Amino acid sequence: MSFNPPDGTRYVLPDAAARRAEVVGTLRGLYRAWGYDLVEVPALERYDPAHPRQAQSFKLSDRDSGVLALRSDFTPALAQLVRAEHPAVAGGARRPLRWQYAGTVWHAIDPELARTREFSQIGLELIGVSNARADAEILHLARESVRAVGLQPRLEVGNPGFVRVLLDAAAVPDDRRDGLADAIDRKDRRDLADLLATTPGGAAPDAERARRALLAVPDLYGGGEVLEHARAVAPWPAAQREVDRLAGVLAEFEDASELMLDLAMARRLSYYTGVTFRAYTPDFGQPLLGGGRYDGALLPAAAGFSIGVERLLQATLARLAAPEPAPRVLALDDPAARVLRDAGVRVVRALHDDVEAARDEARDLRVPFLLVAGALEPVDGVPAGDGEQAELAGLLRRRPAAGDGA
Amino acid sequence: MSGPARLTLALPKGRVMEQSLEVLRAAGLRLDTGGGARALRYDAGDATIIEMRNADVPTYVELGVADAGVVGKDVLLESGSRLVEPVDLGFAACRLSLIRPRGATGTVQRVASKYPRLTADYLRRVGSGAEVVKLSGNVELACVSGLADAVVDVVQTGATLVANDLEEVDVLLRSSARFVVNRASLKLKHDALRPLIEALRGLPGSF
Repeated sequence: MSFNPPDGTRYVLPDAAARRAEVVGTLRGLYRAWGYDLVEVPALERYDPAHPRQAQSFKLSDRDSGVLALRSDFTPALAQLVRAEHPAVAGGARRPLRWQYAGTVWHAIDPELARTREFSQIGLELIGVSNARADAEILHLARESVRAVGLQPRLEVGNPGFVRVLLDAAAVPDDRRDGLADAIDRKDRRDLADLLATTPGGAAPDAERARRALLAVPDLYGGGEVLEHARAVAPWPAAQREVDRLAGVLAEFEDASELMLDLAMARRLSYYTGVTFRAYTPDFGQPLLGGGRYDGALLPAAAGFSIGVERLLQATLARLAAPEPAPRVLALDDPAARVLRDAGVRVVRALHDDVEAARDEARDLRVPFLLVAGALEPVDGVPAGDGEQAELAGLLRRRPAAGDGA
Repeated sequence: MSGPARLTLALPKGRVMEQSLEVLRAAGLRLDTGGGARALRYDAGDATIIEMRNADVPTYVELGVADAGVVGKDVLLESGSRLVEPVDLGFAACRLSLIRPRGATGTVQRVASKYPRLTADYLRRVGSGAEVVKLSGNVELACVSGLADAVVDVVQTGATLVANDLEEVDVLLRSSARFVVNRASLKLKHDALRPLIEALRGLPGSF
């Protein structure tokens, strides 16, 4: 019998768990302040072969021989919730729903290359509206999320709609689109050129022009100048509209210096329809969050992002102050302990009612003070902060100890 | 910002290392690698260089320990890492091929390779039910000794094949050295990486 949890899962010990709760609390507060209501969805879902992540989901058999899946992504689950509770919005009514979520997701993948199979996500969705102001709000909150945990944000922003329009114009057959989009996303011009050379169709002059434009897309990344380059590369109306859409979102930002454009972002081309983004922070080589607009994929109009909590914690680790302080007081006096707890002090209840045994207990726990009969007694060999005893005594004097019990 | 950010580069040991340094210098990086023995990780002037086996380069770049690196397309595909690969450097050109003893005609039952992932993909594609054996050393030996009735391995000139009476039956892919970049670094160190990418692309033999 192994005491280790299954591959790709882990235990979270007190310091890390406290940090995680603090980060999640900070982000929840941020989204709440912007009007995003917390919702919950089941971790057990009905298995759906059309689910965007069905290949990565853990499946379970239900009692009635039905198949269940463990939640692998919050977005489809929230879309189900919208269909169940807000059918008008699911049917296309333009009424904004601002929702946030936090919880565990599971991916049935090889637990290789620093990937876990059970992890936490926090994120938000703005559903029932599709315009530049909504895109900008999501993008802004993604940036603020990184700032809120004390990290410096850098966002890459793209619009897969641009690549989609070029693939349409180049008359690329359906079965070749994903391969081409993947090469563009990797900025692999060699693969892209080879693939285009063997892709049928596109003899018309317009298609020829679109193919040349596709070859230029991997290099369309950088600052605001990218928009002008994109207009020059694909100067026809459908492509211009996609560039305009991105320009419209950027225009909502007073300071866009932390945003970098990349029109080669073309992953999940059939899912994301509008602005997409990922956030990074200096000296950390992996994305902290990702999201975008997916109108028509699961709901008529929706955009959002999700944050991998473990990865975010990893990025913040170097910048955090000392972990949460250990409990400060071991109490044999319940009413007095309540006064301190009400003031926010961490007070542990002694498991021994004998003072001598309680002193040993405090030493073992590394708690600096023992609270006996309304008085604080320093514990030998456990260091306390400067003036900490006077401060705690002050809290005890401020309110009369009343009531009984723990 | 005080000038472009400093880069960390992951380079494979051996001949590709020398060729990589050559093209990086030609692209304008001042790299002083000293003479003789070097540390595994050292400051080479315009960049920090970390040396490793070629199969490890994708991992270091994917996790962002290195901002960029040089690795063969064959090794990159085998690793399954999704990196930005903006420049085909052209050198270290080779084919990844299915190799059998000269004149062999029977059904292939077992294929040995240092590239198990690409081999399995290939066998699936051609509809073969042969099993794959992963080896890390001299793969031709598997064929010569009878461990496997075919191997998938890199062919550069074909001289080794001729010497062992083996022949190239099919080409899985054509490979060459790629300049690969971590996605976060491309955005965080844009000022340093973009000009380097452009300069590498401008070199003869690059694309």
